[in-house]
Amino acid sequence: MILFESIIDGIRDIKDHLGRTMLQLVGIILGAGSIVATFSLSVAGKAASMEYYRVSGGIQKIWIWDRPTGKVTLDAKALASRGLTYGDALAIQNGAKEVDLVSPVSQESMTIRYRNVEKPRSVMGVAPAYSPMNDVHAARGRFITDNDLVTGARVVVFGSDRAQEFFSTDDPIGKIVSINGTGYEVVGVMEEKYFSFDHKRNVMRWMNRQIYMPITTFFTRKGEPLAGGKVSFMHARMRDIKKHEEAVDQIRKVLLREHGVKDYDVMSRVANLRRNEQNNRMYDMTFMICGIISLLVGGIVVMNIQLASFNERVREVGTRKAVGASPAQIFSQFLSESILVSVFGGFIGLFVGKLFTDGIAALTRDPAIITADTVVKALIFAAGTGLIFGMYPAIRASRLNPIEALRTE
Amino acid sequence: MTAVAYNLEEPVTEKALIQLEDITKTYDAGENAVQALDGIDVAIEYGQFVSIIGPSGSGKSTLMHILGCLDTPTTGKYWLDGQDVAELSARALARIRNQKIGFVFQTFNLLPRATVLKNVELPLLYAGLSRVERRARAHEALERVGLTNRAKFRPNELSGGQRQRVAIARALVNNPSLILADEPTGNLDQKTGSEIIDIFENLSGQETIIIVTHDPTIASRTERRIKLVDGRIVDGEGIE
Repeated sequence: MILFESIIDGIRDIKDHLGRTMLQLVGIILGAGSIVATFSLSVAGKAASMEYYRVSGGIQKIWIWDRPTGKVTLDAKALASRGLTYGDALAIQNGAKEVDLVSPVSQESMTIRYRNVEKPRSVMGVAPAYSPMNDVHAARGRFITDNDLVTGARVVVFGSDRAQEFFSTDDPIGKIVSINGTGYEVVGVMEEKYFSFDHKRNVMRWMNRQIYMPITTFFTRKGEPLAGGKVSFMHARMRDIKKHEEAVDQIRKVLLREHGVKDYDVMSRVANLRRNEQNNRMYDMTFMICGIISLLVGGIVVMNIQLASFNERVREVGTRKAVGASPAQIFSQFLSESILVSVFGGFIGLFVGKLFTDGIAALTRDPAIITADTVVKALIFAAGTGLIFGMYPAIRASRLNPIEALRTE
Repeated sequence: MTAVAYNLEEPVTEKALIQLEDITKTYDAGENAVQALDGIDVAIEYGQFVSIIGPSGSGKSTLMHILGCLDTPTTGKYWLDGQDVAELSARALARIRNQKIGFVFQTFNLLPRATVLKNVELPLLYAGLSRVERRARAHEALERVGLTNRAKFRPNELSGGQRQRVAIARALVNNPSLILADEPTGNLDQKTGSEIIDIFENLSGQETIIIVTHDPTIASRTERRIKLVDGRIVDGEGIE
């Protein structure tokens, strides 16, 4: 009952002195705002990258690509190394136990012609593993199969944008296209992939702009031997995320054995994620510390204003005590006032936080989500500030001697 | 006489509302300690209309603070309504003030930002009464002082006499055993002051009222006068 009355009193007080209250609350507003911004950006950033990883094959994906060493070496095997080859892909498949899928990719620009449309476009030689590895599937027809690989079939699969570009309204399935002058049957069109961090740019558009053929066919048409066929890059998939280091080690071991020189890079998404998290933590901490300092300063201001208002209200406290308010009742009245005023500041801080968040998100093009969790956290921080810094004025008021309080002019 | 005194252990306060026994109050100011009250013995009956008079520095205020449970005596016994209140904690004293005592001050001491009704409700708020009950009882108390039509006003919209009537309503609202008025007419002109005393007069009989005053005209209107000089009662008009 008394709590309720105190809250009503507090609200009236805020209303009566809105300007003073806002000034008093600048620290708390900024503090709560920073906390909102920090959590919103951090939570959203993490959620967005996790989502991106999910739609593009999961965090169990491992990248493998060439890295020219630039070292002068006399080692015959090292000299002979041509970088990543199809043979390496097979060797990893057989030799790395923690890897369950390997997807080698060879890429080259070729001349594509269908009827009167002729354009140079990038073509990928891939294995069937490409589809599950990148979580991209045929929307119509089929993707490259093992049989295509074995027979070196002259088949192609179009990404959705490319199908649109060459076939427009025609159904591509079963049509014959010419690639570098040779005829290929179109056996599939891929689904359209979409992902955006900022709701503007589709970061997966490149996947819709691919043309796929069996990697064996790719090598044959280029006149390369199968095992020695040059691979542009590979993806591998680990069996168990907990053993991500083992998986990467095993791949490195196989490649070193095959190449005799470290002319490759292997990196897992898990490791990458960890590194990003560490970077983000620094960024979060900085903002968080700003928020906490603002809250501390805000809390001290709240305390001072409470003490000043307490001095103004000594007679009032005396009167309340005379009519029977116990020390505990006075204490809770003063404390609930400072908590209320701080929560009010926290509430405004939410809106300021929204402005911060939107501002930063617009500048950095990072995603931002203000979750209920973040709102609750900011309000709890604000209420906590009011609680801690309201304690001293509340104790002073509760200990006031009613006789002296009533005597005060 | 063979009859046994069965009631030996019954408190002597059975009949009187207030029973003070050898009350002293010393303000410890180092070497020059001040003896504000020096052995006060007095009993005040239920429904009595009493004034405490005496020159300034005579201990009137100190006695009133002790009677009002705002302060505790250095030594001595104080029974209020059958309860020993001389050595209670701050919390327990607050409860006694809330349940048994109504104060009327010289400077009214109304909460400036609260309405008349809210001011009168204040003691009931701390007693933990519901909103509805507080409102009903506050209206009743305002009726007794003839101010029901001012319930929604703020103190600064009222005259001095009206403010003091609000304060009396606030003192009455918790049905106290004792109403203590400290110079209740001190800030009012003679006519208004006299009207306030009229109210007390009308209440006397139903309520026990003690007025602390230095004004002999007011004191003459009470049924009993207790005169203090140097912390002692020099004329109690019927110390039993």
